[in-house]
Amino acid sequence: MTAPAVNPAVDPAVNPALDRLPSIDVSSTQQVPFGRLVSVELRKMTDTRAGRWLLAITLGVLIVAAGIVVIISLFDEQFSMTLSDWQSMLTFLTTLLLPTLAIMSVTQEWSQRTGLVTFALEPHRLRVILAKLAAVTLLALITLALAAVIGVAGHALLAATGVDISWTADGKDLAWTLYLQMVYFLMAFGLAMAILNTPGSIVAYYVVALILPNIVYGAVYFLLSWGPDVVPWVDLGFAVAAFRGELPPVPSGTPDLGVGPVLSTLTIWVVLPMAIGLRRILRTELK
Amino acid sequence: MIRVMSLTKRYGDFTAVDDVTFTCRPGRVTGFLGPNGAGKTTTMRVMTGLTPADAGEVTIGGHHYRDIPNPGRHVGVLLDASAQHAGRTGREILALGAKLMGLPMSRVDEMLALVSLSDAESKRRLRNYSLGMRQRLGIAHALLGDPSVLILDEPANGLDPAGIRWMRGLLKDYSERGGTVLLSSHLLNEVELVADEMILIGRGKIVASGTKQELLAGRGGGSTHVMALDIASLSTALTAAGLEISPAGDGLRVEADPVAVGKVAAAKQLVLTDLRPAEGGLENLFLDLTADTQRESVTPEGVAV
Repeated sequence: MTAPAVNPAVDPAVNPALDRLPSIDVSSTQQVPFGRLVSVELRKMTDTRAGRWLLAITLGVLIVAAGIVVIISLFDEQFSMTLSDWQSMLTFLTTLLLPTLAIMSVTQEWSQRTGLVTFALEPHRLRVILAKLAAVTLLALITLALAAVIGVAGHALLAATGVDISWTADGKDLAWTLYLQMVYFLMAFGLAMAILNTPGSIVAYYVVALILPNIVYGAVYFLLSWGPDVVPWVDLGFAVAAFRGELPPVPSGTPDLGVGPVLSTLTIWVVLPMAIGLRRILRTELK
Repeated sequence: MIRVMSLTKRYGDFTAVDDVTFTCRPGRVTGFLGPNGAGKTTTMRVMTGLTPADAGEVTIGGHHYRDIPNPGRHVGVLLDASAQHAGRTGREILALGAKLMGLPMSRVDEMLALVSLSDAESKRRLRNYSLGMRQRLGIAHALLGDPSVLILDEPANGLDPAGIRWMRGLLKDYSERGGTVLLSSHLLNEVELVADEMILIGRGKIVASGTKQELLAGRGGGSTHVMALDIASLSTALTAAGLEISPAGDGLRVEADPVAVGKVAAAKQLVLTDLRPAEGGLENLFLDLTADTQRESVTPEGVAV
């Protein structure tokens, strides 16, 4: 049989009147303000069970850790703890779980397929990603502030129990702790952008942020002859130490590397994953 | 209002959408009909900027989707009712949408009431929603921003018959107020009941389009089902008029259009109790047009998603 011809009423090639189809007047509609995108992304990070539990557990861990320190101080006469010690301990604890939130902020759009809605409501994907980045940064700063408050409270408790403490803190130590914390969050975000898959990104993050620094880099640095020349260029912690001139001494002499390792580690773990991820996200199809 | 012009989308050697052109007008519900894998969803994803086209373009109200500021306020989109975070409540999903679009939170309650999701249901997590409830929520989400265009992919999928009737009323009402609706389905019955116009797509190509009447007329006359008080006299008269008849239940099936049958009856002053195009005309057309694009043996119900 022959198929009916395409109806001229709906075929603009046949019916030129369709060129006068009514148009939508968008002149009075504002683009969604960036701040609103950020606040929606923040809400999306905290309105699911996973998000709430990660935040609650982190808060719990911080408080329990502070409590343990205070209890130990009661039994150990020699106990001493600086404000910087507090900050590096508590900040380390926040980097254990919270970067998972940063990861899920990106990957859930694919794993839960919410991207279909997110990118339909804001087709400019770069804006969405920047909003997520801003939300993740805000969250990191808020948790850092919280860790600082808990640290100061713990320190005050130590003073109250009679431990001889000092209230002076090394500003540089604090700044570098902050720097590393932010880099870990951004790295988690970047890896998530590049991998676009929740379990894969989480595994990648913990390998790079926990397993390699704690198990591999140290051994390579001290045991292999080329270790001291290579490890500071790939490990975030060693890179900071190199810049501050605090690299652990090795028999062949501690190299003086300057700012290079800091830049190279930032490039490898933050800039590169984000660049690869951005390319993927801007081009990928939402299904 | 929606213009799709020479749209083509390829995946490697496979052409999912092949030079597709059609238009959806305001005040009309346009049904986008075709078997699974025919290219409906791909076309709709291209429309909403989620998938880049290889050739051609789509404009909505004269704009590319990407250029519409705060698009949720102008175009309501439902591509997949299950594409939401399973752990969010229905209410939270709508609240996120309303917040992003800059709408008051009262809009969430209005939409929940519109799609008949109760307060208790709205506080359940999406993973505990039936497909029908997800579709209602999805339609509520699409309508949040009071858009003038609706793009709905398989919105009736999973709705029970009462739900389909409800959706039909909702979309009719929406289009009568001047809205433009494009909805897709692989089930003819769903579209037939709701759509003013239909676009049939198979294997990425438009195979037919128009109103139901136009589509059937294009077939060169269908067959007619007729019943009369005096069925014996009617069969004699129809046979005498040279029409081919066969018994069908209590009535007759005539291989002619209803007008021809009615004329014969009128000439003989016979009282008809039923006169209509024979059942399945559109369905046969649909299956014929898309037969070579069906994945498996032809079944009118299509393949379950």
